[in-house]
Amino acid sequence: MANTNPGTSRTGRLAPLNTPRATTPPNRQTPSGRPSVSARRNNVATPHARAAIRAMDQRRAALFTPGRTRRRSLREQRETPRDILRNLSRVLAPTSQVLSSSSSPETPADASLPSFIEEEDEEDDDDFPIERPRFSLPLGPEEDDDEDLKPPRLSGFEEDNYTMQSIELPRRALMDNTTRSSLGSMRHSDYMGPDIQSDDVGIDSGFFPPPALDDSAEVVMDEPAMIERLDADEARRQTLGGDSVFGAIDIPDAGNETTFLMAPVESPVREQTEEQIATGGLEGLGSDDGPVYDMDDDDDHVNEPMNVPDFDTEDEADNVVENNISTIEEATLSRITSLASNRVVKRKKGKRISRHGIEYPSLPPSVVKRLATTCAKTAGSKGKISPDTLDAIMQASDWFFEQLGDDLSAYAKHAGRKTIDESDMVTLMRRQRQTNASTTPFALAQRYLPRELLQELRMPVPVPSKAPRKKTRREDVEGEEQEEVT
Amino acid sequence: MAPGQKMYPRATVKKIVKAHSKCNVSKNVDVMIFLDYVLFMQTLIKEAAIDSKQAGERNVSAKSIRKATPDTLAKFKG
Repeated sequence: MANTNPGTSRTGRLAPLNTPRATTPPNRQTPSGRPSVSARRNNVATPHARAAIRAMDQRRAALFTPGRTRRRSLREQRETPRDILRNLSRVLAPTSQVLSSSSSPETPADASLPSFIEEEDEEDDDDFPIERPRFSLPLGPEEDDDEDLKPPRLSGFEEDNYTMQSIELPRRALMDNTTRSSLGSMRHSDYMGPDIQSDDVGIDSGFFPPPALDDSAEVVMDEPAMIERLDADEARRQTLGGDSVFGAIDIPDAGNETTFLMAPVESPVREQTEEQIATGGLEGLGSDDGPVYDMDDDDDHVNEPMNVPDFDTEDEADNVVENNISTIEEATLSRITSLASNRVVKRKKGKRISRHGIEYPSLPPSVVKRLATTCAKTAGSKGKISPDTLDAIMQASDWFFEQLGDDLSAYAKHAGRKTIDESDMVTLMRRQRQTNASTTPFALAQRYLPRELLQELRMPVPVPSKAPRKKTRREDVEGEEQEEVT
Repeated sequence: MAPGQKMYPRATVKKIVKAHSKCNVSKNVDVMIFLDYVLFMQTLIKEAAIDSKQAGERNVSAKSIRKATPDTLAKFKG
């Protein structure tokens, strides 16, 4: 590509054209080497793998194209062979007019206006339909014609993944015959990228070791990183698929497998560490008789939802999950249920520990039951609440408070406070859609809370912080009036 | 609710939220928090009641509560 040499003048571009060729072969070789490596696994042949490989290829191609830095807009589209040819033609146009005319009927126009066109066109040519119209009329139509004719070709090329390296077309075709997957080696190529650009010659020798190093490094890596790595490895494997001629990379593969096996084994270890930490924290607190293992449970909860919902909770969760049929929220459900199941076991013991390592009591069941009974009556069913139900409700309220604490702390921190303020609560309720223009928090309080609590709620109102607060104040007055009336 | 009875243990609510948020809780916020909790409970029970009625049960069952919990929690996610 003419673009390959950044910052070169037009005259200089001709020479650069060769450079891409020199650089590209390494890429090709990499795929060729790849198949050998990847060849062992036949997985790659699948269409998905191909698509992935293609994507990787394109990405890699984008990386490798030197012209990229120079151009500002629509770089990728420019990288087609046609563009290269066009650039070349432009460069040649001023010097050799006869040839340009011979190549295409319209070129004479270009030749006649080379200086103008070149200056403006370089960037514009490749931005297809959009920019053309902007420029002067005479120039536009000519270019449009060119591109109108050629785009179909481009699309064909791109589909076949030939976009970037026009020169590579034949080679890649060969590669396709063996295995598509070979092309997919992109991953390694990504690593190699810089090397390839820097050293054209050394690439072959240097090519294999880096992946090996990469894998080994991964093997060496810490266990906590495992989960992410597994995915990465799988992806790579897919890309690597195919028949391997070389045994060189066998070792890294073995490493991968070992890592795979390791994963399940390690998870318990992690938990243990957490438990230890938790226990340490508990001891530090040294407060409650609450069994240590209760505490551990809570800590696990904190970490599980993020990483490994499946591992620990499977046994207990299964029961609950089976009960819950809703398929839509399976993920959330399973997680919650798992949490629930874990908690159910040890819930009845006194205090639990929050995510921040602070002990907290749970609401007394009597209070919850009374509230639930009231709600159940208003909901239309009989007020009876079985112990089972109460248990479930207690769980739900535990989660509710956990969630609420999270949200409130987030709001407070966002406001730069270390104290949860009333405004946070107002914000929260508004975001919960519990309050809106027609429903003020105070109105809700009036409906649901006894008067003593209402009194408490009314006290802080004088601090006007937000719009709803003003409403509450108004409401407040009204409330007082009502009270007076009553 | 019986007249002389407290509706809820304020200190406990405060402690719970404080533990979960790792923030201090200003003076009267717990009232609002409890109000929110009441609303939550109401929604939860209502959903569960509907669900259990559809299942043909008379009372609110634990199962329906569990079923309604995720939805309601999501609804009360700020």
